[in-house]
Amino acid sequence: MSLRLVRIDDRLIHGQVVAGWLRALGAKRIVIVDDATARDEFMREVLTLAAPQGVPVEVCDVAGGAARLTQLAATTEPVIVLARSPRTVLALRQEGVPIGVVDLGGMGFGPGRKRLHRTISVSPDELRELRELEQLGTRVEIQIVADDRPIPFGSLDSGR
Amino acid sequence: MYGKSPAGLTSAVKTAAVWTAAVGAGLVAMALLAAFAPVAVLGAASGPAAAVATPHTISVSIWQAALIGLGYYLANSPWLFGLAFFTLYRPLVAGFFVGLILGDPAQGTLIGAAINIPYLGFISAGGNLPADASLAGWVGTTVALASGLDPTKAIPIAFGLGMLGTIIFYGRMAVDSVFAHWADARAEKADIGGVAFMNVVPGQLLLFVASFVPVFLLALNGPSAVQDVLNRLPLWAVNGLVIAGGILPAIGIALNMRFIFRGAAIPYFFIGFILMTATHQSMSLVVIAALGLALAYLHLNFVRPTAAAAETAAAATETATATAAAAEPAATAPEPAPEPAIRLTRGDLIRSWALWTFFAHANYNYERLQGTGFAHAMTPIIKRLYTTPDEIRAALKRHLVFFNTEPNFGNVVHGTVIAMEEQRANGAPIDDDAINSVKSGLMGPMAGIGDTLSQSTITPILLALGIGIAGGTASGSVVPTLTSATGNPLGAIIYIVLVSVVIVAVGYTAWMQGYARGKSFVTDILRSGAIDRVLVGAGVLGNMVLGALAAKFVVVNLAPTVTIAGAQLNLQAAIIDPLFPGALALGLVVVTWWLLRRINPLALLTIYLVFAMLAAYPFFGPGQKDSSDYSYGACTSSLLHQYSPCGPPPAPTAAPSPAPSAQP
Repeated sequence: MSLRLVRIDDRLIHGQVVAGWLRALGAKRIVIVDDATARDEFMREVLTLAAPQGVPVEVCDVAGGAARLTQLAATTEPVIVLARSPRTVLALRQEGVPIGVVDLGGMGFGPGRKRLHRTISVSPDELRELRELEQLGTRVEIQIVADDRPIPFGSLDSGR
Repeated sequence: MYGKSPAGLTSAVKTAAVWTAAVGAGLVAMALLAAFAPVAVLGAASGPAAAVATPHTISVSIWQAALIGLGYYLANSPWLFGLAFFTLYRPLVAGFFVGLILGDPAQGTLIGAAINIPYLGFISAGGNLPADASLAGWVGTTVALASGLDPTKAIPIAFGLGMLGTIIFYGRMAVDSVFAHWADARAEKADIGGVAFMNVVPGQLLLFVASFVPVFLLALNGPSAVQDVLNRLPLWAVNGLVIAGGILPAIGIALNMRFIFRGAAIPYFFIGFILMTATHQSMSLVVIAALGLALAYLHLNFVRPTAAAAETAAAATETATATAAAAEPAATAPEPAPEPAIRLTRGDLIRSWALWTFFAHANYNYERLQGTGFAHAMTPIIKRLYTTPDEIRAALKRHLVFFNTEPNFGNVVHGTVIAMEEQRANGAPIDDDAINSVKSGLMGPMAGIGDTLSQSTITPILLALGIGIAGGTASGSVVPTLTSATGNPLGAIIYIVLVSVVIVAVGYTAWMQGYARGKSFVTDILRSGAIDRVLVGAGVLGNMVLGALAAKFVVVNLAPTVTIAGAQLNLQAAIIDPLFPGALALGLVVVTWWLLRRINPLALLTIYLVFAMLAAYPFFGPGQKDSSDYSYGACTSSLLHQYSPCGPPPAPTAAPSPAPSAQP
């Protein structure tokens, strides 16, 4: 399995990912799946150039991402997958991308959102999507940086 | 400048100015007091006359404990131009100031440097803190200095304190979320000053109580408590602490190697290490750094432009030009042609930047991270651009949302957003979504680059340099440098100056360029490859300095002997070191680096501590009878020995000792 980390993080590429996860996992490629970002020429270039030298970044929409990730999952190249929302990951999972674990790494607070743990907040919709992911057999965990111990989503989700 | 535009000056800015002046005056007073107090307060306790065998102790007065508590608060506060995190927070700097307060800046700096080494690879990103280095620095140095501890022993003790300190940080991160809601309420009333107030005052009052009180008490009572515990420990366990102090630096150095010990930069680490061991740990870190700079120049211009690099560069320019062509119309679109009616002044920009630089983390919290800090920084801009309560309310609420980036390089985001706000106020069709998407889109990538530059490259390299200078010159190659060296406060001072200049210059440039050129500045600087050149050059320099630091501070002394042709030979002194001096220390660092890719640093640290204790236990013989027993039997009874292959601790200011004395 080459999808070493499938992470939901609304900041996509940032310090925790570049200085932390990338090194910790020895990942060689980052695939960002997000429809809005894929349409934004400027953000695509910024994200591509923001990763360290020698780590290619691909920005895909959900449809393209599902095909690309299915292809990458069959190789041995260690890959980090970043998405902004649970909806994207759920869509990928429904398209048949083999995602065993999804990591909640950064989901900022805002109106109508509930804080689950430290910097992880969810909207009612996202909560439902995460539960659905678990029903599909994808484990949902909170692990903000690689050196943290993962916390199972189920232990924080009191409402089910 | 402020006098001309009283309207643009919030009450919180005034408060900030007054507080800063007061704190600055306090720091000066602190330094003066410390400079003149030693003779009166401490009498003959300090100074070279103190005997080696009986470590001098210092009793910490209530006033000294209060200053140390204040220093710890300041290290976590926004008051020192936002630079506290890069200066007072670091144990090297904390050690210098605790030394000043307690009347022995040289020894304080040395202890601080020792405590700092395990935190060299320290990174705090996105509200995540692995350990509180500042508590380790401020309290650790106090305890070690006041009870006359060998700096080597201070390393493991201080590390324990660092773990404790995260409680304060995480507690504060949780409670500060409440103040963000108070700021929301002020924004609802279009109260600009109120938002600024909520970003600073409640959080800082809380932090002051939560940081000053515990550190004051620890500084007052910690030294005797630690001394009590140490007095109860068996001799081998105390030796184990010294052995731990020799191997724990390997973890700090290896953590930092995770960022720069890569590819073509790897050999420079070994060059740095060998230069240091070949000169018996006496080469100045300044010389090593100068050499590193020269080699970085050569590396960038003559080694790196290989076929592979040229290929990726060509590919990069190709995509860059392709996207540039595609992005051309979009980039020019938002420029409004007519003369704008409302213009921001340079003063507004500088005030906004200063507010951010000071208060970005004043109310750091889990819910919004730097959200209230961002809104606070926007207050001068909002005051200038918007007049009706509705506009002001909307603008405040727009900027009170979740935000987090690296607060210096990441300032391009703020500059860009300010330019967008100015265009919006002048009627350009820029809605909330456009501003939000720039903020939420750019904050991550800019943090990625900013953290790589500041936290994992520039700061640790400058710290390594400062620590190396602070470590002074050892009296010989076979003893732990920290035990035998006289500290050099210049190490802390040089570090403070260098890091402050770099951080402020980067932050100011990013802010102003972001405003002037917006998104095109972001793409220009990313396409230029300048950041990559800085990282590669810094990697060369960093590896040299880290290698030198490893040679200076990582200590492994094998105790066992082998019998060859009837002669008892110490494995390390007689066989390994003559072939490759420091080979065991070098091996330990490389193995640690390798292990860190598999094991969590805190777990590895625990393993090393347990290993140090086991390695000190006299499994193979009777052990030491008392602390001055360096007989053959005592020396060879454990796996590792705390000092040279076998010998007594050296005098702190002694001339180079020619040979280990007790070697049979």
